[in-house]
Amino acid sequence: MRSHWIATGALVRDTFREAFARRIFWGFFGCATALLVFLLFIMRIDVVEGANATVSLFGQTRGGSADVNEIVTRAQAVIAMVLYFAGMALSVFASAGLVAAVFEPGRIELLLSKPVSRTHLLLGRYIGNVLVVAANVVYLVLGSWTIFGVKTGVWGWGFPLSSLCTIFTFSVLLAFIVLIGVLWDSSAVAIMATFAIMIVTPILQQRHTIERLLSSEWSRDVLRFFYYVLPKTSEISQIIWRMIIHQPIESWMPVWSTAIFGVVALGLGLWRFQRRTF
Amino acid sequence: MAAIDSSFAIQTSGLTKVFTSPFNGRSFTAVDHVSLQVLRGTTYGLLGPNGAGKTTFIKMLLSAAQPTAGEARIFGLDAANPEARRSIGYLPENHRFPTYMTGWSMLDFYGALSGMDSPLRARRIPELLELVGLDKPAWHLRLGKYSKGMLQRVGLAQALMHSPRLLVLDEPSDGVDPVGRKHIRDVLRTLEQQGVTIFLNSHLLAEVELFCAEVAIIRRGKLALSGRVSDLTAGTGYRVEGMHVPERLADDLRSRARSASANNGSLELVFTSREEANCAVDLLRANGCEIESVLRSRNTLEEIFMKAVQEGAVAETSVQEKATV
Repeated sequence: MRSHWIATGALVRDTFREAFARRIFWGFFGCATALLVFLLFIMRIDVVEGANATVSLFGQTRGGSADVNEIVTRAQAVIAMVLYFAGMALSVFASAGLVAAVFEPGRIELLLSKPVSRTHLLLGRYIGNVLVVAANVVYLVLGSWTIFGVKTGVWGWGFPLSSLCTIFTFSVLLAFIVLIGVLWDSSAVAIMATFAIMIVTPILQQRHTIERLLSSEWSRDVLRFFYYVLPKTSEISQIIWRMIIHQPIESWMPVWSTAIFGVVALGLGLWRFQRRTF
Repeated sequence: MAAIDSSFAIQTSGLTKVFTSPFNGRSFTAVDHVSLQVLRGTTYGLLGPNGAGKTTFIKMLLSAAQPTAGEARIFGLDAANPEARRSIGYLPENHRFPTYMTGWSMLDFYGALSGMDSPLRARRIPELLELVGLDKPAWHLRLGKYSKGMLQRVGLAQALMHSPRLLVLDEPSDGVDPVGRKHIRDVLRTLEQQGVTIFLNSHLLAEVELFCAEVAIIRRGKLALSGRVSDLTAGTGYRVEGMHVPERLADDLRSRARSASANNGSLELVFTSREEANCAVDLLRANGCEIESVLRSRNTLEEIFMKAVQEGAVAETSVQEKATV
């Protein structure tokens, strides 16, 4: 059992080392730091005394605790959305290479010759990859949350919790990248397929409108099938928004159905990896 | 396989690998019912022309390729069991070690994958880097800056990291200079003396002949020949080489010899029996010829290899011709 943990630690460390060497980690870290510095620059606090606080944002001064609270939560929501969409796209782009690198001839044979199961090998790489992205998401979210909190006294939990949703969505998309990587050994195909999902899901979210435009029941069923099967990245972004601005969340279905997609994709990836000849 | 016999480091039974194209359904048999037994502590060479199926065979031993039929066991354990690989150290042929690693960190990574804890790895790494003759300044240099020979050395070190009982080496001296080659051979000789089984896949027949006790020759996925090197190369005749042999005597000796060849004033004759060889020496001396050498005739591994490969080709051709007729 101890040797399993040692091997898992080695796989995770190796993923970080490769992310450092490919400048992926530092790229994320640099972007996150730049965003934090930008936040410090645009947000100048004049008075920080709870209800009497006044905030200067983009040169506009607002006062009153309710007003400040709203400004801060909205700003946090905007940052969360930027992180969710732009950060997710960058993470998918960067991670596809990290997954495909493992299957390179001359490298995979040596990994497989070690006393580690294939499931363990792939999961170790997967976890390492999620942690590379998670470290930067947490750094950015906690960093900006702290800046907002220290300067305004607004310490809502919605914003830090939103980082979990972002990491969760990334881990689901990474599971899909792993599946495509195992099937085709191609980071390009994995990136294209994942981006396709990210583009299609906001369209599928409008299924009620589209259904009205479709003439046959059969085509409506196909639409519903894709809606329920594919991850709901767009709807999760709305959950994150509502979470931050303290609005009730209408349904958790997008989260659990996305989780099912991730588990199935990762399971299929592992199953195929088990049976592949290298 | 009837019984598990762990006195064998490697045991395969009818091991077969067929690759089938998912597009047109055409299949190609890379390894065809190969049954091989490698005793513990042996130095075993796997030979064969390019595309014979050697690497696929090795991949099945390591469970990197799934057999279509048959079975492979490592020290009695099913090769598919990860525990079987705990006793294997492997150096692949066309390895692609991560270039972002240093020699040290690479050994650390692969040692950890083999379940070695941190203090043990820290102790073992400098020992091995010294053993394979990698200069100290290179230890913390990125692998991207290593020469081919240095990569082979560090590759051998990673294969030895967890003190394996079986070493599977695919072209270990590829790209290594003659001095380095000798060094690697010495390292392997020491391991052999410690009881490590060495399974070597190499195109350098002279190297295999020099190092291995047993060999197997694979041709088109099938086992063409296997046995002890000393038995396979043992000659059945005597070689006599004379200088400046008169033409008439040369003709006479040629008629008595099993084979003869002339080169730069010397005549090389191979006789079946010792008596015939002695008689030839007497005749040469009586005619004032100089004797250059008298040797027990011995086949080289290259001759055995060529014969095994060509005989297989001839046999296949004749079968095809019969089929055509």
